[in-house]
Amino acid sequence: MAGPFNPELHVDLKRFGAKDLDMCMNCGTCTTICPMSEDSGGGFPRRVIRLVQTGQQKKLESSLDPWMCYFCGDCTLNCPRNANPAEVMMASRRYLTSRYDFTGLASLFYRNPLTEIIAIVLVGLFITALFVFLHGPMVLHRVELNTFAPVKWVELGDWIMAGTLSFFLLAGAVRMTWWTLGRRDMLRVSPMIFIRQIPTFFAHLFTQKRWARCGSHPSLIRWIKHLLLVSGYLSMLTLVLILLRWFQTDHVYPFYYPQRLWGYYATVALLYPTGDFIVSRLRRKEPIHFFTEASDWIFLVMLFLTALTGIMVNVFRVNGFPMATYIIYVIHLAIAVPMLVVEVPFSKWSHIMYRPLSIYLAGVKKAVADSTGKGSDAQALEPAAAA
Amino acid sequence: MVAQTGEKRYSDALVIGGGIAGLQAALDLAEQGYKVMVVEREASIGGRMISLSKVYPTLDCASCITTPKMSAAAHHENIEIMTYTEVKSIVPDGDGHLVTVTRKPTYVNADKCIGCRLCEYACDSEFADSFEQGLGATRAISVAFTNAIPQKAVLQAEYCLSCGLCLRACPTDAIEFDQQPRQEQIAAHAVIITTGFQLNGLNIKPQYSAAQSANIISPLTLERLLAPHGPYGRVLRPSDGKIPESVAFVLCSGSRDRTIGVPYCSRVCCMYSIKQAMLLAGSLPTADITIYYMDIRAFGKGYEQFYQNARAMGVNFVRGKVSHIDVAPPDDLMVHVEMTEESVDCVRRQKHDLVVLAQGMIPQWNPSGVSTVTIGEDGFVATPDLASPCATNVPGVFVAGAAAGPKDIVDTIADAGAAAMVAARYLVRCGSKESAQPGGGRSVRLELAV
Repeated sequence: MAGPFNPELHVDLKRFGAKDLDMCMNCGTCTTICPMSEDSGGGFPRRVIRLVQTGQQKKLESSLDPWMCYFCGDCTLNCPRNANPAEVMMASRRYLTSRYDFTGLASLFYRNPLTEIIAIVLVGLFITALFVFLHGPMVLHRVELNTFAPVKWVELGDWIMAGTLSFFLLAGAVRMTWWTLGRRDMLRVSPMIFIRQIPTFFAHLFTQKRWARCGSHPSLIRWIKHLLLVSGYLSMLTLVLILLRWFQTDHVYPFYYPQRLWGYYATVALLYPTGDFIVSRLRRKEPIHFFTEASDWIFLVMLFLTALTGIMVNVFRVNGFPMATYIIYVIHLAIAVPMLVVEVPFSKWSHIMYRPLSIYLAGVKKAVADSTGKGSDAQALEPAAAA
Repeated sequence: MVAQTGEKRYSDALVIGGGIAGLQAALDLAEQGYKVMVVEREASIGGRMISLSKVYPTLDCASCITTPKMSAAAHHENIEIMTYTEVKSIVPDGDGHLVTVTRKPTYVNADKCIGCRLCEYACDSEFADSFEQGLGATRAISVAFTNAIPQKAVLQAEYCLSCGLCLRACPTDAIEFDQQPRQEQIAAHAVIITTGFQLNGLNIKPQYSAAQSANIISPLTLERLLAPHGPYGRVLRPSDGKIPESVAFVLCSGSRDRTIGVPYCSRVCCMYSIKQAMLLAGSLPTADITIYYMDIRAFGKGYEQFYQNARAMGVNFVRGKVSHIDVAPPDDLMVHVEMTEESVDCVRRQKHDLVVLAQGMIPQWNPSGVSTVTIGEDGFVATPDLASPCATNVPGVFVAGAAAGPKDIVDTIADAGAAAMVAARYLVRCGSKESAQPGGGRSVRLELAV
């Protein structure tokens, strides 16, 4: 691509899932019906679709609009052309994720799901191999997980993995920030503005509170389920990254002990929403579930299996089945690790970073615009003129 | 005029539908000497056009064009008009067709009725007048409308109280309460379907009907409001009789929309909305008139100039599809639209006193079960041969006007002439040489094998 235009952009987006993109005739019904569009000042979904249709790749890359959409599906239900605007927004997010990622892996995984599956299998095999060749002594008359897989080594592995993931994710975040704040213009922004907006980032990271306002009733319920999922996910991360020494123990605590209760909570908070989302996607009742890309399936199934094998480790351990515990523990890690390694920086889970970051950046932009007295952020609202 | 039940009558051509297309086709055939029967479902011929106020792009009075045609057809020696009659079946029979029609009872002897309307004045039962789109009232026994043809009273049994006031009022004893529906058979050589269109309802799209307001009206209702002989004689909004200060036209509100199954363009809405906006600007000089459009399709001769004139007159054109309409209490309406041509402040809410929905054109009549004529994906009669746009899949059955697809009046009249032409050619090809001579004034007289 040379210059800011890419005539093949709409073809690209179709490979990321926006299959009905060409149907759009830019009537604006979606924008008007969108509960989020006006507050965010974006004029989306129509303008995002327009950017794609007219091949304005640079503008799309510097747009935060796709991240302001939480996919309530109202636009898709109302679209007179069945162009499925919500799916275009979804595909734009996938596309942006792949653009933020400098390695090109995200792009590869999204466009060709088979490569994602191969990557997951490879990482899974690698983890399995590590245990097959490097596991500790297997005590078979009672469960000694910490002898089989010493917690300090597992913890070390955790930290290496977390560091790697954070590196890729942060690299993506930096690219996103650089593009959306107008590249070199970003350097002129006062650091105080960046600092003052930080609470926004964390508020949205933990609560996704905008989502609750999005769309009609089902969206609210979906937000609550998602919140549950996030709490489960964060619980899991905390237990695994920070509290592993306390969590992975051979001592069987009483049922009411916080270590067990917390673990059970995390399990339920992961299993129920993911199971529910899988069923909804199979039933296809709501617009958000009409189309499911391979990346969505992989994400949901892996997360579900991680939680399932996690709780199985606990069941076997508490009930004293040593061999079963060791085997399921290896399977558990052979699922959880590739999920995190592949999904978090390069696929669907990257939204955990990009979504709150986008709201943070929108706040920064607005603060900059207010301080320079330009009125509302005119940059984002430039007319999407036809090429 | 009325034949006995069971008796079979002959006609060269039978036209289904007495609107402008049917009348034009019938006149064109009759002028060539062929006998034509026109079957009309309603009590009067004239179709949709007779209820319109003015026509674009000339702003001629619609009645002034339609009434002479109606009159010419009704008085033509080669044309027989059967009103209040429905077609039950069309069966191919040799070269021609055997058409069975049901003549609905009017409870008035048409031969005796002199159209004096004394029965109508005497009648006590009133109900909403469908010709006035429900805005005015009519009576259980009445002549269909002022310039109806034939000028014969029709009694609508569902509203009749059987009080007998009309019986006493009628000077010619024309009222016959004991009439029954009866079937007639017509052997016709050629059949022309000119059944026209209907609009697809104000409630078809929940985004526009959620308001359930009396002030969201059909364009045909506005035609009546604008007509000089309309229900109020001037433009008032239905809910409270207020003179509207702000009127919105919402284009593409029933067509070009896949969510309601009408993906095609209705072709006439842009132009009649512009026309109505111009007429409104004349009758309500201080009102704000806004047309919300996706793109103005001013395709015909003189149409673009007509559109530009409306702009110059101060009609406000806003590009953007209205996404939904809310009530703005008490009686006003809030229109939500994205201003797609502006750079900032994209979504706008605009309050209007009256909203006109440019509804989609859908076919009035579905021939399935009556004839083997096929319909297209859009529901209109299919015309499979591109080189012969009036021919259906059944030889000898032709279609004209909006029955074959959305058309405006200009195109409909041209189409009806074309259908008459191909029907005449068909009659010549199939009929005896002698009868087919131009100006012979004789019927083809088919001998059908039944």
